Amino acid sequence: MNGKILTANFRKQFPGGPEIVADDLRIGGGITVLFGASGSGKTTILRCLAGLEIPDEGEIKFGGESWFQKSGKRKAESGNIFAPPQKRRIGFVPQDYALFPHLSVVDNIGYGLKELPATERTLRVAETLHWLGLEDLEMRRPRELSGGQQQRVALARAVVRRPKLLLLDEPLAALDTPTRLRLRGELRQLLRQLGIPTILVTHDRFEALALGDEVVVLHAGRNVQQGAAPDVFSQPANLAVAEITAVETILSGHILATRDGLATVAVGATRLIALAKDLPPAARAVYVCIRAEDVILIRNDVAQSSPRNHLPATVRELGREGPLVRVTLDCGFSLIALLTQSACEELALQKGEQLFALVKTPQVHLISFAG
Amino acid sequence: MKRVFTSLFASAALLFAAQNEIRAATVTVFAAASLTDSLKQIAAGYEKNSGDKIVFNFAASGTLSRQIEAGAPADIFFSADETKADALEKKGLLVRGTRKSLLGNSLVIVTPTDAAAIHSPAEFTNAVVQHIALGEVKTVPCGTYAKAYLEKLSLWSAIENKVVPCESVRAVLAAVESGNVDVGFVYKTDAAISKKVQVAYEVPAADAPKISYPVALIKDAPQPDAAKKFIGYLDSDAATAVLFKQFGFIVLTSPTTE
Amino acid sequence: MSGVEWQLVGFSLRMALTSLLLILPVGLALAWWLARKNWPGKALVETLVSLPLVLPPVVTGLLLLQLFGRRGLVGSWLHSTLDCDVVFTWRAVVIALAAMSLPLFVRAVRTAFEEVDVKFEQLARTLGAGEWRVFFTITLPLAKRGVLAGTLLAFARALGEFGATIMVAGNIPGRTTTLPVAIYQAVENGEDAHAWTLAGVSAVIAFAAVFISEKLLRRKT
Repeated sequence: MNGKILTANFRKQFPGGPEIVADDLRIGGGITVLFGASGSGKTTILRCLAGLEIPDEGEIKFGGESWFQKSGKRKAESGNIFAPPQKRRIGFVPQDYALFPHLSVVDNIGYGLKELPATERTLRVAETLHWLGLEDLEMRRPRELSGGQQQRVALARAVVRRPKLLLLDEPLAALDTPTRLRLRGELRQLLRQLGIPTILVTHDRFEALALGDEVVVLHAGRNVQQGAAPDVFSQPANLAVAEITAVETILSGHILATRDGLATVAVGATRLIALAKDLPPAARAVYVCIRAEDVILIRNDVAQSSPRNHLPATVRELGREGPLVRVTLDCGFSLIALLTQSACEELALQKGEQLFALVKTPQVHLISFAG
Repeated sequence: MKRVFTSLFASAALLFAAQNEIRAATVTVFAAASLTDSLKQIAAGYEKNSGDKIVFNFAASGTLSRQIEAGAPADIFFSADETKADALEKKGLLVRGTRKSLLGNSLVIVTPTDAAAIHSPAEFTNAVVQHIALGEVKTVPCGTYAKAYLEKLSLWSAIENKVVPCESVRAVLAAVESGNVDVGFVYKTDAAISKKVQVAYEVPAADAPKISYPVALIKDAPQPDAAKKFIGYLDSDAATAVLFKQFGFIVLTSPTTE
Repeated sequence: MSGVEWQLVGFSLRMALTSLLLILPVGLALAWWLARKNWPGKALVETLVSLPLVLPPVVTGLLLLQLFGRRGLVGSWLHSTLDCDVVFTWRAVVIALAAMSLPLFVRAVRTAFEEVDVKFEQLARTLGAGEWRVFFTITLPLAKRGVLAGTLLAFARALGEFGATIMVAGNIPGRTTTLPVAIYQAVENGEDAHAWTLAGVSAVIAFAAVFISEKLLRRKT
């Protein structure tokens, strides 16, 4: 990861509502995901970075430029800086794309290229249309496009200016589920190809995993944890983050084969069976995600049972969390299971015990990443 | 609550009854605008002595005759020129034998008090005179007189495009007072009551058209008897003659016209 | 219709169109400020702009007379510096028409601007568009219908304007006599046929303008 290119420290109080705080937010090149539940402040922070909302006080610096500076003291009027969106050279894609309804696709995309001479503008637009596969849609109006097409046009419009920073607000949220899953991989590829530092907002943890190099977790209007995607999800800094991320086991895996809609994944020496749907055909490297509550423990392996994944496991740790017990298992890799206190007692779990962990195929989530 | 309503109702009933008890009549007079101040003063004195009430409608004589033709409930018509009365008479709207020409007047050219002096109508053609206020020639007798005068001087066509028509002679006066026009034609009597205009030139009687103010009883007047009484008071009564003269009118002693 | 009558209609139309030249820039700016911005005293501006709608037109005319008369605040300056008269000239007609029609225009256009989602304007800014460009390429085109409807309403109102016009421009045939004033004069002079002809023309134009304006306001894209 490159050095940090954006630093932000600001707060914004909504009258009668929440206070959103960017607490020493540092963002590097690559794709950074702002991840959190709805209402956690992600969109506000994104819009403040875009210059579409103005924080009450704080500062935002990008590259060597100061985009925003306002001291909390009322009297200090001088020294306040606010660079409007026009000056920030950003590309912004809101959740509903906001394509200009009165302009064609070509005019939408070309809108930001006014400074360029006409010939160059046409060239760039054509280039971008081609890159995003939008050639046949040039003269269409936004209302004549499908959701996926609108998303691409919105992206095209944002990137055609070669912005220094790309800001995407829930880029896949407006799409229906099948399209969303399909485009998730495409989007990652596109963003990688672009190479523009990107900040992306999502509330979907699988999207965060799939798209982000770095993930910033937001909770109650504040950024609480930041790090590489799998690290943040597997090692939540605190209970709050854990509740948000809600995926306890995240492993790197490697697809060995796919057949009949099922994929065989190797995690270390262990083989897991997962669903192969929504995976790009040539996918090899994947994150394997298993939620702790999806792990079933049994003492004696039963020959015939429905879950396809039977993993010999050794109990390493037991930790009480209220009425539940968090069991850390060693199956050749670290697997977390969540059991009730009474279940634990019934199974007479102790450290070092050997038993079997069962996970149903659909509960082994695979997230492909291009590495 | 009931008591309040009862007493209110009783008072109203009494008032209605009382109205019918009043014997005094209300006489409605449609008079030329130039008569505004003089007639009001005369009427005030008359009301005290007779017990009748006089109600006025002052406007350009043309406007008034139009209203009378349309059936306005007026008793007396006091016009600033004979033609308007002629028109009504032709239509049989004036009671025969009641028409009398009571007053005369002089035409004057006025300018705002702070404006450059104008010495004669010939100066109207100068560039410094941009707007000339005149009564609307079809409805305002003063305007008709002024146009006739200017035509007599062969000046009308030269200055026609500077003319600003106004709806009554008092409107002409107001326009000159405001300073928005450079000169205006009003009666001497109008100029006399205004402090914001100065008389630049008085049209000599020989050059001016004959200005004559007839008064008449309107046919189907609501209060013919009281109206006749008032007309009598206006005509040749020493007190009124003095008053009219005070305002600057010329009191005619011509006999009743047929 | 006689030559004089056609001339009258022509003059009225020309005056109404000229007043639009005043109304459009002032009205668009006012409507935009009222739609997009907030400031202390905004309610006062809103009231002042709506005033000519409810004040008797002659009162507005009186105020204009005070302002633009030779002794008035603006009129005296114009008279002494530019040797330019307003009262009793066609300029007074244009000003009277503009003053009376502006509120209608501003109301219609303000609503139109408010109906344009700010998200489009914001996005245009992120694409580098300055405020003027945002206004002319995004806000105005998206508010097109309302602006057109407002213009038509203002035009129709200007054509029918009487009270303020007659106060400040008088009734000078060929120079300041507009259609409504001519109708009034014709009735005064007992020229009924003439009055009815002019009234007919007036009614037809007003009907057409309001009809189209309503259609524009009703239809949503």
